[in-house]
Amino acid sequence: MNDFGLMRKNLFRRKVRAALMIVSILIAFMIFGVLAGFYRAFNSGEDRAASDRLMTVNKINFTQPLPIAYFNRIKAVDGVKQLTYANWFGGYYQDPKNFMVVLAVEPETYFDVYSRDFILTPQERQAFIRERTGAVVGEAMARKWGWKVGDRIPIASNIFTQKNGARSWDFNIVGIIKGASDQIDTNFMLFQYAYFDETRSFGKDTIGWLILQTRSPADNDRVAKTIDAMFANSTAETSTDTEKAFSKAFAAQFGNIALIVFLVVGAAFVTILMIVGNTMALSIRERTREIGVLKTLGFSGGRILRLVLGESMLLALIGGIPGLLIAALITAALRNSLANVAPAFAVTPEIALQGILLMLGLGLITGIIPALNAMRLKIATALGRG
Amino acid sequence: MRSLFLQVIAVTAINLKSISQRRWLSLSTVIAVALVVVVLLAFLAMANGFQRTIAGSGAQDIAIVLRAGSQAEINSTVSRDQVHLIEDGPGIARGADGKPLISPELYLVVDGLKRTTQTKANLPLRGIGDQGATLRQGIRISSGRMFNRGSNEVVVGKGLVREFAGFDLGSTVAFGATRWTVVGIFDAEGSVFESEIWADLPVVQSLFNRNNVFQTIRARLTGPAALADLKKFSDDDPRLKLDVKSEAEYFAEQASQTSDLIQKLGWPLAIAMALGALAGALNTMYSSVAARATEIATLRAIGFGGFPAFVGTLVESLALAALGGILGAAATYFIFDGVSASTLGGNFTQVVFDFKLSPALIGQGLGMALVVGLIGGLFPALRAARMPIVAGLYG
Repeated sequence: MNDFGLMRKNLFRRKVRAALMIVSILIAFMIFGVLAGFYRAFNSGEDRAASDRLMTVNKINFTQPLPIAYFNRIKAVDGVKQLTYANWFGGYYQDPKNFMVVLAVEPETYFDVYSRDFILTPQERQAFIRERTGAVVGEAMARKWGWKVGDRIPIASNIFTQKNGARSWDFNIVGIIKGASDQIDTNFMLFQYAYFDETRSFGKDTIGWLILQTRSPADNDRVAKTIDAMFANSTAETSTDTEKAFSKAFAAQFGNIALIVFLVVGAAFVTILMIVGNTMALSIRERTREIGVLKTLGFSGGRILRLVLGESMLLALIGGIPGLLIAALITAALRNSLANVAPAFAVTPEIALQGILLMLGLGLITGIIPALNAMRLKIATALGRG
Repeated sequence: MRSLFLQVIAVTAINLKSISQRRWLSLSTVIAVALVVVVLLAFLAMANGFQRTIAGSGAQDIAIVLRAGSQAEINSTVSRDQVHLIEDGPGIARGADGKPLISPELYLVVDGLKRTTQTKANLPLRGIGDQGATLRQGIRISSGRMFNRGSNEVVVGKGLVREFAGFDLGSTVAFGATRWTVVGIFDAEGSVFESEIWADLPVVQSLFNRNNVFQTIRARLTGPAALADLKKFSDDDPRLKLDVKSEAEYFAEQASQTSDLIQKLGWPLAIAMALGALAGALNTMYSSVAARATEIATLRAIGFGGFPAFVGTLVESLALAALGGILGAAATYFIFDGVSASTLGGNFTQVVFDFKLSPALIGQGLGMALVVGLIGGLFPALRAARMPIVAGLYG
């Protein structure tokens, strides 16, 4: 029997005890996987934001409007490569509970600024520019509602009404937007700003925010300062910042999610460290005599150390890996219902890697003291003890 | 019967006294259960605190009028004509001077700096009518004074001052190009209004270029029953495409979404952690039974029944879990109770609230601890009761 076989036999000698430890480790890693996945998805806006993209919003708050005339004035600023704008629509489908992200955008420039993030075929893009009542829908949203190109759907707004009193707008779906990678959220819909502005009952000629791409990230500061200085002391002052800073501040508005995740995962790990650590110590103590026998047979201290540490690492991996797998299943099951809060909710390869490192760390911490004790054990004491 | 009772007492006492022999394993179970209870109670206290802040804000005899389908004040728009129509509507109380007790309001979102993170956050700036402050329960200026009509002065809620920088009494705040002076800080019995900034409605309308735009109307009703009359009046008039709700109803809807979400996160996490702690408890109790195998067998040999062994083990497990539960509840109380926090509420602005434990929540936490203790003790207790005497004596 090789050393690995010995570790396995030792670990499962008391089946109930081993199973219970595996369950508690499994649960801790399941919690880790789900929460780490949530945290990453929740903050994905920040990670995804391109470093050369800036947002200009009303200085009072980003919910306050800006005049559409700012588009042409900002376009002329040196260092601005691409510029577009959008307006929040407050959309919902059929029932106000079916809230969805719907934006009125400038169809020609919007996809220039987001060309690295979103994929739309040239035909679809042309159709979106041409058709006044056309809308393009993100893949995730289209899948959720079963929409396809050619469908005509009514979308209501909880903010705007049409001049004719209607609360909903009819859109023809002319394209499906694909994300350039899995991390890109596509749970949204875009339609023509021109159509929106002509039909809405108030707020004409105002926009929500502008998004611009600078020639290089080195220009960011200068461009932002120039824009904000241009509108200083006007009735609509602006605040220009990187998309990253903007996403980060917005995520922070919900509360200190990082701290909550850290505390819960921390509590789960302290629990298993204590349970597994104590149990490992107990089970090695019970085996004192056997370790004495192994040493008598010529097993070196180092080999004994490796055997015990190997056992605790094996235990951590046997519990931890299925825990991460279950976390992956849970995130997959919740992905659609959490699409608005945490897009692309998943246990990513990085999280899995962190998890495995944590498992090895856990195995090391819980096994090291019993292993050192076993290594230093004197044969006479071991065989002498009851 | 009496002898069985005495046997149970004797064995239980032995069990409890022997805990010190397994102190580390027992301690790990106690701490594991305590941590589960802390996680559960922290989430429940958060949901409860949020719920109390929002739901405590609404009165039954105040009507809030919004544009139909707008759901939240921030989305609503109401025209001047609609304000006049509602003013003369049925069921609206009138003051001594015969004027209707209503407050047309404008609800804007402005930026503030959150003290803890130093990031921008959405704060509500409310332009209120003459009656605005009197239409809300328990508003009291705790320092400074009320703003003067027609001036760019604001009063701020004390919750907002606590969580966000730059709103201290006497300071000047800038919203875009406009400058405002903080002349008073108000107390609102812990309601959501303590997270708001208030100013005179016509001043807000003019400085924010929203002349003749209103978002909501608050009105004092002649009584809670008058709500139905006002609703019917609004529904029957085609010029009034409005939703009429009691303030209590409106805030209850606003509170439920967020506090439901917090509870939906807290319970599954606590249950998952409880399963982990349960594995620990089972482990401890099986070890306890194994360690006392000789002792149990000896007792059986001198005539004790299996039942006392069962009860003794179960009580030991329940005692450890109860201790963990009490520790967890106490830790939650000392660490989290009263902690101030803020999050984005239904109106897309920050709501400041305190974590708030209640006896009912502590009961839920202890209940969860005892369930862990009960299940964690049950199977080892059965093993103790069924242990063959001979095996135990030679084990």
